Amino acid sequence: MNLPMIRYVLGWTLGIEGAFMALPCLVALLYGEAAGWWFVPVALGALLAGGLMVWRKPADSMIYVREGCVATALSWIVLSLVGSLPFWLSGEIPFFLDAVFETVSGFTTTGASILSDVESLSYCMLFWRSFTHWLGGMGVLVFLLMVLQMPGGSRMNLMRAESPGPSVGKLKPKVRQTARILYLIYLGMTVLEVILLLAGGMPLFDALCTSFGSAGTGGFGIKNDSMASYSPYIQWVTTVFILLFGTNFTIYYLLLLRRWKQALGMEEVRLYFAIVLASIAVIVAQLCAGGAAFGKTLRDAAFQVASIITTTGFATVDFNQWPQTSRTILVVLMFIGACAGSTGGGIKVSRIGILCKTLIKELHSYVVPKSVRKVELDGKPLSHEVVRGVNVFLVSYLLIFTLSVLLVSLDGTDMVTNFTAVAATFNNIGPGLELVGPTGNFGLFTPFAKAVLCFDMLAGRLELFPVLLLFYPPTWKGTLHRVRRAAA
Amino acid sequence: MARKKAGATREGLNIILVGCGKVGVSLVEKLSQEGHNITVVDRRASAVTAVTDLYDVSGVVGNGASYRIQQEAGIDEADVFISVTASDELNLLCCTVAQKASHCATIARVRTPDYSEDSQYLKEKLGLAMVINPEREAALAIARLLCLPTALSVTSFAGGHAEMVRIRIPQNSKLDGRYLRELGKELAGPVLVCAVERSGQVYIPDGGFQLASGDALTFICPSRDSKQFLGRMGFETHQVHNALLIGGSKAAYYLARRLLAVGVQVRIIEADMARCEELSNLLPRATILHGDGTDADLLREAGILQAEAVVPLTGIDEENILLTLHARAVAPGAKAVTKINRIMFPEAVARLDLGSVICPKHLTTDAILAFVRSRGASKNSNIEALLHMFDNRVEAIEFLAREGSPLLDIPLRELALRDHLLIACLFRDNQTLIPGGDDCIQAGDRIIVVTTHTGLRELAEILA
Repeated sequence: MNLPMIRYVLGWTLGIEGAFMALPCLVALLYGEAAGWWFVPVALGALLAGGLMVWRKPADSMIYVREGCVATALSWIVLSLVGSLPFWLSGEIPFFLDAVFETVSGFTTTGASILSDVESLSYCMLFWRSFTHWLGGMGVLVFLLMVLQMPGGSRMNLMRAESPGPSVGKLKPKVRQTARILYLIYLGMTVLEVILLLAGGMPLFDALCTSFGSAGTGGFGIKNDSMASYSPYIQWVTTVFILLFGTNFTIYYLLLLRRWKQALGMEEVRLYFAIVLASIAVIVAQLCAGGAAFGKTLRDAAFQVASIITTTGFATVDFNQWPQTSRTILVVLMFIGACAGSTGGGIKVSRIGILCKTLIKELHSYVVPKSVRKVELDGKPLSHEVVRGVNVFLVSYLLIFTLSVLLVSLDGTDMVTNFTAVAATFNNIGPGLELVGPTGNFGLFTPFAKAVLCFDMLAGRLELFPVLLLFYPPTWKGTLHRVRRAAA
Repeated sequence: MARKKAGATREGLNIILVGCGKVGVSLVEKLSQEGHNITVVDRRASAVTAVTDLYDVSGVVGNGASYRIQQEAGIDEADVFISVTASDELNLLCCTVAQKASHCATIARVRTPDYSEDSQYLKEKLGLAMVINPEREAALAIARLLCLPTALSVTSFAGGHAEMVRIRIPQNSKLDGRYLRELGKELAGPVLVCAVERSGQVYIPDGGFQLASGDALTFICPSRDSKQFLGRMGFETHQVHNALLIGGSKAAYYLARRLLAVGVQVRIIEADMARCEELSNLLPRATILHGDGTDADLLREAGILQAEAVVPLTGIDEENILLTLHARAVAPGAKAVTKINRIMFPEAVARLDLGSVICPKHLTTDAILAFVRSRGASKNSNIEALLHMFDNRVEAIEFLAREGSPLLDIPLRELALRDHLLIACLFRDNQTLIPGGDDCIQAGDRIIVVTTHTGLRELAEILA
C-alpha cells in the first residue's frame, strides 16, 4: 500500500476543508457572532496539518484501486472529524459524538439531525452545517482532482471511489476536465436556485442554506419546521431543484452540447421521472380521497416525493401523519434513491433498472433455456463486470442494512423507528418515520446507535466498498508490518 | 519539473486513437504524458478497459471505422485521428471516414508491402496526414546498422544527410581517457558528441568531459563522415557482405530488398513453404531456405558460422532473443540485431548483452509523437523527426525553422539556451554542419537538438 500517497491526499483534503472554513468566519463577521471565532483555530490547524502532510510529494505517486478506496474513506472520516470541531468547541452541540453525527450527516448529505431546536444555533454554525452538504454533494475528492496533478490511472481510481453509480463515465477524456465541468454545472445550478429563491422573497441567508441543502441533496433545514413555513412559490422552486440535482449530471452536459436526442433518451432519467410522477399521482389520489384540498396536496406530495427519492430530506408537512400506503411509498422511494452520477444517495435508479432487467433475463432463460441475452442500458450492452457489481452491491447493501437494524434495535425503540432510522441514514435521506419523522430527531439514540448510524451514512455515501475495505484485514496486510519496521 | 513545463501548461490536442494494441498503448502512454485529451476506440471491451484503467483517457467500445462510433468518440472536435489496428484495410478505412467527417489530421499504420509501395499515392488520394510503416522503418534501421556493424544504433536525420551513431568504447581504445575538447582539435572533423551514458547516468557533455572505456557514446555527424571518424579511432568500419535472416516476415522482406540493393548477399530461413515461394518470387536474388529457424543444425547448414550478420525476424520476441544469444555464442564475429516487438522489460533485455536492439513500436511512437507535437505548436517551426534515447531520458529532435521564428539570424553564442541542451547539427542547402558560436539559424534550416528536457514542441522552446 502506498501510504505516503494516502497521506498526501489526506493532507490536501484537510487543506481544502480549512480553506472553506473561511466562509463561516465571514458569516460570523457579518452577523457579529462570537461563536465564529472557533472556526479560526480549527481552519488554521487544518491548513497547517494539511500543509505539513503535502510538504513532500511522494516519489511514487501511483494510486491503485486499493489506495484509492482507502484514501477516499479516510478522507471522509477526517473531513467529518475536523468539520465537527467548531460545533463542539463552541459548545453549541455539547457532546462530541453528537457533533460528529451532525457533521457526518452534513458531509454525506444525509440531513439527519440530533438537534431538537435548530433555530438556537448561531448563523455561522447553521451556515457551516448547510455548507458541508454542498461540499459533500459533489465530493471533496472530485474537487481535489480538479486542482491536483497526478498520474493518469490514479485520478480515475479516486474518482471511482467517490462517485456514485454502477459504473463511472467520464464526460471528457481527462478526469480533471470532467471534474471541472461537473463542478461548473453544480455551481451554476446552485447560483440559479439562489436567485430564484431570492426572487420569491426569501432572505439571502435562508436562500443560500436552502440551496446548499438542495444542491447536495442534503436536507438540513435552518428552521425547526424545515421548509413548511415558506411560501408555495419557494416550495415549488425547491421541489424542482432537488429533482434536478437528483438527476444524472451527464444529461446537463449533453444538453449543454445540444445533443438533445441522446440526453432525452437516457433510460435512467426517464425511469426516474416516471417513478416520481407515479408516486405523486398515487399519494395525491389517496390524500384527496381522504378529503384534502387538491392544490396544497399536490404541492406537498410533489415536495415530499422529490425530497425522499433524491434523498434530500426537507419536509413541508409531517408525512408521518399520512395514510399507510403513502407512507410505504415514501419508504420504498428511500431505497430506490436518486440517479447515478447525481448528488443523491440510495441504491440508485440505474441499479434498480439493471436489477429488473437481470430478473427478466433470468426468467427468460427458464422459458428459452439456451437463449443468449445481454443486459442493456441506453442501447449498449453492459459488461458482465458491471452486472456482477450491481448484484454484489445489492447483497452487501442488504447485509449491512440488516445488521444495522439489529444493532440499532438494542436501543429498544419501536421497529418502524429503527427500520426507518437506518433507511434514512444509510440512504442519506435524513428524516424517517415515527420518532425520527420530520418533526422528531435522532437525539434520542444512545451513543452506540449513533456510531452505527454514522457508519451507515459514510458507507451509504461512498457506496459501501471504500468503507468496508477499511475493515477488511488484507487491505492493511504488510502495511502495519512496514510501519513498525520503519519506526524501529 | 522542467518536463512538466513544456507539456502541461497548455490544453492538449483532442486525439482519437483506434486500436489498443502494443503500439496503441505505448502511444497512449506518451501522448497522455504530454497532456493531450485522448479517446481510445477498440472493438474489444477488455482492451479499452485496460487502457482507461491505467491512463487518464476515455474509451469507446466499437468499430473505429463506423461514423456513429467516431461521433461518440468526439470526431467533431478532434485534431488528430490515429488508426493503429492490426488490419491495414481497417486503418485506411477509419482514416478515410474520419477525414470526411471532420478535417482532422489522420495517421494510418500500413504494414503490408501491397499498400506501402504506393503509400505516397494513398496519402494524397485519401488525404492522410501520415502513413507509417513500422516494419519498413525497422528494416531500414537494421540495414543502417549492417552498413556500420560497430555501432549499437544508427539513426538518420535531415532526410538521411546526418547520422546519429551510438557506440560503446572498448578497452584500450583511442577514445579511452580522452577529453572531448582534445577530440575536436585532433580530428577537426565534423563530429559532435551529444550524449554519453556511463553506469546508468546520462550526460550531455561539454568540452571538459573525459571519456572512459565502457561508456556508450552518441555522436552526430554528416552521414558520409561517420565511418571515417570511427576508422580513425580504430574501429572496424567495413559493412557486412552477407546476412542471414531468420524468419520471412514483412520486416525480413523490406530488409532483404534494402540489403540486396547495396550488394549484400542475403539468405532467409522461413518455416512456411508457401511464404518461401512467395519470397523467392519477390526476391529473386536472395537465397530462400525452407526450414525451422530455431533448429541449430539447420542454422549451421545455412551458414551461421560464416555469416557476417545474423538478424532474427521471427514474430516471436523470445525466439528472436534466444537466436541472437545463440548467434553471439557460435559466431562471435557476426553482427546480430534483435527486433523486439512486444516484450516490455527494458531492464532485463539490457542485461542480456544482445548488442543492437530494434523496437518497431518505439519507431512508430516516436514518429507519431513528432507529428502530434508540431501539430500543437505554432507555425514558425516544425518537428521533422524525434528520437527517444536512453530509456526516454534524452530526446533528439529535428526542427525545421520557418520564417517568423524568433531565433533566426542570431549568432548561436548570443542565444541563451537551456541547460542540458545542445544544438547538435544544422542542415542547410544539402550541407550538414556542426554549428559553432558564430553560426546563425536561417529560415529553412533543419536544426537537430539533443536535450534531457523532454517534451519540446517548437524551436523557440530551446531558449531558457
